[in-house]
Order: sequence, then C-alpha cells, then structure tokens
Amino acid sequence: MAEHTDTRAVDLTIGGMTCASCAARVEKKLNRLDGVTATVNFATERAHVVAPPTVTVAELVGTVEKTGYTATPAADVDDDDGRSMLRRLLTSAALTVPVLALSMAPPLQFRYWQWLVLALATPVAVWGAWPFHRAAWTNLRHRATTMDTLVSLGVVVAFAWSLWALFLGDAGEPGMRMRFSFAASGADEIYFEVVAAVTTFLLAGRYAEARAKRRSGAALRALLDLGAKDVAVLRDGVEVRIPVGQLAVGDSFVVRPGEKVATDGAVVTGSSAIDASLVSGESVPVEVGPGDLVVGATVNAGGRLVVRATRVGGDTQLAQMARLVEQAQQGKAQVQRLADRISAVFVPAVLVLAAATFSAWLATGAAASDAFTAAVSVLIIACPCALGLATPTALMVGTGRGAQLGILIKGPEMLENTRRVDTVVLDKTGTVTNGAMTLRAVVGEEPDEVLRVAGATEAASEHPVAAALAAAARERFGALPPVSQFAALPGEGVQGVVEGRAVLVGRRSLLAQRGLAPDERLGASLTAAEAAGRTPVLVAWDGAVRGVLDVGDTVRPTSAEAVRELRALGLHPVLLTGDNARAAHAVAAQVGIDEVVAEVLPAGKVAQIARLQDAGRVVAMVGDGVNDAAALASADLGIAMGSGTDVAIEASDLTLLRADLRAAATAIRLSRATLRTIKGNLVWAFGYNVAALPLAAAGLLNPLIAGAAMAASSVFVVTNSLRLRRFR
Amino acid sequence: MASKAYAVTGMTCDHCAHAVSEELGALDGVTGVAVQLDAGGTSTVLVTSAAPLADEAIAAALDEAGDYRLG
Repeated sequence: MAEHTDTRAVDLTIGGMTCASCAARVEKKLNRLDGVTATVNFATERAHVVAPPTVTVAELVGTVEKTGYTATPAADVDDDDGRSMLRRLLTSAALTVPVLALSMAPPLQFRYWQWLVLALATPVAVWGAWPFHRAAWTNLRHRATTMDTLVSLGVVVAFAWSLWALFLGDAGEPGMRMRFSFAASGADEIYFEVVAAVTTFLLAGRYAEARAKRRSGAALRALLDLGAKDVAVLRDGVEVRIPVGQLAVGDSFVVRPGEKVATDGAVVTGSSAIDASLVSGESVPVEVGPGDLVVGATVNAGGRLVVRATRVGGDTQLAQMARLVEQAQQGKAQVQRLADRISAVFVPAVLVLAAATFSAWLATGAAASDAFTAAVSVLIIACPCALGLATPTALMVGTGRGAQLGILIKGPEMLENTRRVDTVVLDKTGTVTNGAMTLRAVVGEEPDEVLRVAGATEAASEHPVAAALAAAARERFGALPPVSQFAALPGEGVQGVVEGRAVLVGRRSLLAQRGLAPDERLGASLTAAEAAGRTPVLVAWDGAVRGVLDVGDTVRPTSAEAVRELRALGLHPVLLTGDNARAAHAVAAQVGIDEVVAEVLPAGKVAQIARLQDAGRVVAMVGDGVNDAAALASADLGIAMGSGTDVAIEASDLTLLRADLRAAATAIRLSRATLRTIKGNLVWAFGYNVAALPLAAAGLLNPLIAGAAMAASSVFVVTNSLRLRRFR
Repeated sequence: MASKAYAVTGMTCDHCAHAVSEELGALDGVTGVAVQLDAGGTSTVLVTSAAPLADEAIAAALDEAGDYRLG
C-alpha cells in the first residue's frame, strides 16, 4: 500500500453544477485519474479529492474544467489572498513613506517634488486600493454603500483632484510648495499623501483582520481526521490491513482494545466497552455485545471485537456530523461589519453634503471653480484614515490580552455578532464536568481495604471504570497486590484472587447472580449514586459485600462559581447534554442551573440552539466534544474548552485554554470590552473627519488640515485600543 | 450511414444533454448526436454513425459521461 501512504487531500470548489448528475459526472472523471479518490457534493459545491503527489492540483482543476465546470482549490484560496494582500500592503507602505515625508515636510520639497510624489502615489491609488475599488463597484451595483465605497470614493476624488491640480492648475509649476495657512484652498493643492496614507492604513487593517479570520474547513478536516486510518479486515478468516476508504458494507473487521472503530457497524463476536463520549457526549462507556451497533471513530476500551460494517464513507455518523458542522458554518449569516453599517449612512450623507456645499457656494455668488473646490474638499476629508485601524487595533490588543488570560479569540465577526448575548448553553460532559471517570467516594466498614483490594482486581481490566478505580487505588497505596485467576465478565464486572481472597467487583446484578446482596447502608449509597447518574460498583469477597465504590464524572470545582458569574453578566444558563436526564439534573442542581435539556443527539443540539435563537435569544454555546461542534458553529458565539477536541476548537469563535468554566465569563466580558473599544474607535475615527467637514465646506481645507485630522484620529484610535491591555 | 434512437435515463438538465452528446460524439464513426431531453424521465438520443454501433459501446459512453443508462 506504499502508494497510499503519501497521498494528500485537496478540496475543490466546483462551479457550474446544475444537478446531481453533474456532481456524479465530475466525481467519475476525477476518480478516473491514476490513484485519485474523489467525492463531490452537489449541495455544498465541493469536491474532496485524495490524490497521490504525482497528480498536481492543476491537473485536478484541468480535469474538472475539461468536464465543463469550474474548479478552484478551496483550501488554498485563503493563503493566496493572504499572500497577495501582504504584497499589496508592503508595496503600498514602501511607496507611501516617501510620499508622506515629501508632502508633510516643506524642506524636503525640491524643485520637481510634486512629480515624484505623483509617480509614487499612482500605483498606490490604482493597484494598492484596487480591492476597495472593486468592492465599491460591486456594492454600487447592489445599490449599497460600505466602508469600501467610502475609501474608494475618497481615494479616487483626492487622486483625481490632485491630477487636475498638477496638470491644469498651478500645482505643477516647478518650485511649488505646500502652503501651511488657513487660506482658501485652490487649484494648487495636491492630496497625494491622503491617497497613499488612506490606502496603506486600510490595507494594513484589512490584512490584520484577514489573518485573524477563521480558516473554515479546518473543523471538518479535524473531524474527518478523527476516524481510523486503516482497518484489519477479515478475508476468509485472515486479517488483512487495508485503508478505511476501501472498506465496503458487509465486510467484517477486527477492533482491538484501544483501537478506533473503523466505521459504523454491528458487533458480530466479542464484547467490550465502547467509549463513545467523543461522538455522543455520554460519559459512561457503553457495553456492547453481539448484535449491538457501534459507531465509527469511537474507541474500543475493552476487549477484541469483530464488527460487520453497515455504513461506510459519507453515510457514517461521523460524516453526517461533518455535514452538520459544514452546514452550520455556511448557514451562519455574515454579519454586517459595524464600520459598514456606519458607512451605509455616512456615505450618502457626505455625498449630499458635497452637493449642498456646491449649491451653497454657487447660491452665494461664488465662482463655479471655488464651489467645485469646496465640494471636492468635502469628499476628500470625509474618508477617515483611522477607520481602517479602528477594528484591527482593538482586536489585536483584545486578542493579545485574551491570550494572556487563556482565551483565544478567532475573529472580529464574532465580536460584532455577540453584543447582546443573553443566553449561554453549557455542554455537560467535559465543560461543566471534568469529562473523565474518577472515584468519588468509598463506602464500607474498611474503605481503605475495599479500595485496595478492588483496585488490585481491576488493575488487570481495561474498562474505563476499572481504570479509574485502579488509578485511585495506586494513588493512595502505591504498588497494588497482584491478582490471579482474573476474569472479566463483560458488562458486569470482574473477578480474581487477591491475597488469597476471591474478589468480585461489579454491578448489583452480577453480585445478585452469586447470591450476594448489599446491606441496607451499602444499598442506600448504591441507590443514591445511581440516582445521581453515576456508575457505582460493589465489591465483595469471602461471601459478603464489603463496600460501594462510587465512580462517575465529577463537576469541575469552579463550575458553580462560573455559572454565578455568567448570571451576573445577565446571561441565562442552559445545560445541554447527550447524557441521561438523571445525570444532567444532578449536575445542574450542583452548579445552580434550572433549565436542563438532556438526551440530545448531536443534530438535536443544533436544533436546540436554533430553538433558542428563534425565541429571540442571542446564544453563546460552551462545549468541548465532537458532538458539540455543529452547535458551536451555529451558536452566535461558540466557546470551546481547550481541553476538548480539535473539532470543537475549530468550530468555535473562542477557545478557553484553561479547563475552567470561569474563563467563559471572562471571555464574554473581554469580548464586550473589545467591542466597546471598537465602537469608541469608530466614533473617534469618524469624529475628527466630521469635525473637519465644516472647514472643507467653507473652503478652508488644505493638506495640512487633512494630514492633521488623519494623524490625530489615528493616534487616538491606537491609544484607545491600548487601554484594553489593562482589562482584567 | 446508420441512425439509431436510444432511450436514456438519468438526464436532468442541459448539462447532462451536453455531456452525453460529447461522449457519444467521441465514439469512432459517430457523425451526429441529437438529444431530446426529458428531464428526470427517459430522454431520446438519436445517434448517426458511419457504421452501426454496439449497444455496449453506447452504454459505456453513457457511463463515461455520468450516471446515465440505456432505458
């Protein structure tokens, strides 16, 4: 299987598919390439291709195009964007520095300086600001005005005016100097430094934002990586290792202890405990035997199983969850940026003001050229340079402070999205609780002895409950006595001989079969632990029940305080879990949550989020598991526990690096503080320029004032953002 | 010169018709392909060729084009 070891996955975005047959056609053509396995999804317009290194991406794209459709590598789009944006930014910055220096420092203004400035600023205005022009044009066709419109307008007007002044006005005369007076401006003023600086600052802002943006699709890759890579298939009774992709429905395969189940199937022989917490959120391992169904990507925690595959590839539960996450991420409406919302009002207002200025000047009997000059000045000064810095600087400082506090913030969109979060949905296992089996209590006449003996017996078993017991015993007593004649009784418990005593550790039913029943006290604690949704086991030796070992998932010590903090922030907590209602209510009571939704499947979690959102709530979701991923992606604010799975982390907006729910409250406070700063920045970014608007309308604008407004608002915005460093 | 009409299932849009024409047209000796599309139902494909073609060749070409079959 050497040719399969170094294959790589490529995702293509396919355009032009009009029906399911198209998808089938593309898939067929791609699969015909040597060593290529491709699946094409018509609904998401995506092709997932696994190809050997001998097949280039260009060949794949070419094949799709030959078939009559378009293809672009999906994963590479972001990188290309990032690289070209950086090139644009660096080039513009290099050209802008001399433009600024020459324009702002009269001593440097040599005889023909204005022509050098023109040469330097032209590429910035045309090529550097191209993304803004393009976006403005696109928006214009949709009759919308955004921040891009404002930038493009400002750059174009300032540039065109300067050109006019140079070639037709007086600014082109050799030896022209910028005048630094509050005199009425005229045909000898050039604004190339405004053009260059505005473009560079906004490109810098865009670049910072783009870098912070989530890499969509990363969650899906992480999810699909969870599955087993290869599988031991039984062919005529002989085990053959093949890649999972070659597994077919009906194949029988072997799952050894500790291995991942390769695909969804039914157990043929063997019995074991399956740790499905990753997929189902269930904290207690599930006992399986012949006939029981197992889910792909869950971990076999017990003995050897032979499983017959019932679903493979895109039909498996894992693949279905991947689709859920994908749909949730795509369905998440792109929230309009705050700056864009302001621009939508600001741009028309400025245009009206410019028109009004023109008419007012004419009406008061001024020359048409003066009226035009004033109107153009209004347009030039309206484009705030600091606008590009308002969001990114606050984000950079906010995310930096977040990192110090153990909170990773993914991107700006979520901050602007979650101003009004009023409900927080908490996953139980791994979020409110530790998500691992631990020994909680030992009840009996001689608790130490009970734990020592039970731990020694269980040390030979791989069952998660057994592992928790053995670990607790080892921690308390160090080395444990050896066990002989050990036997695991699947789904029931274990037996063995320790220090000459025949020991039985297991469920109530196992002991009952042997004619053993706990006394009243032990029975009561057994019932209490079961009622709380935990997994207590009984320990018996020499014909009598000696104690109860209370095993279960434990609530994190800080969770109750975290829930109080979340409430104090005005959030309504909801506990959401795939676990049973008993366990859910027990945990909810401990941490002080009244609203509980239990026994929810992964798809159901998304539905629950949607239900809350439909009721008008703005929902934050905190989770850690694969089964939470889709819900995290569809919530208004997805918060993942850093101790959780990569899938959950990729699907979320925020990641808490500490395994402490209190960080969620801090994260929400930090998000709010960051958003407040962004808003403040926007006010000031626009404020300085708005203040300069009357000057422009009065015809008093000159490059000095334009430059001062840019500098002052930029400095203020940066300083304001830096205040976030003191957040605690 | 031989002309034969085939009933083909699985075609749902003009894209499919285009794909089928292209594949059938690439067969040896085929000079003309006309598709009468019945989206979702059984479409009629008229193939003109220098010599009569084996049904297997037609079926293979349809399969090559996508998920289409002789009905």
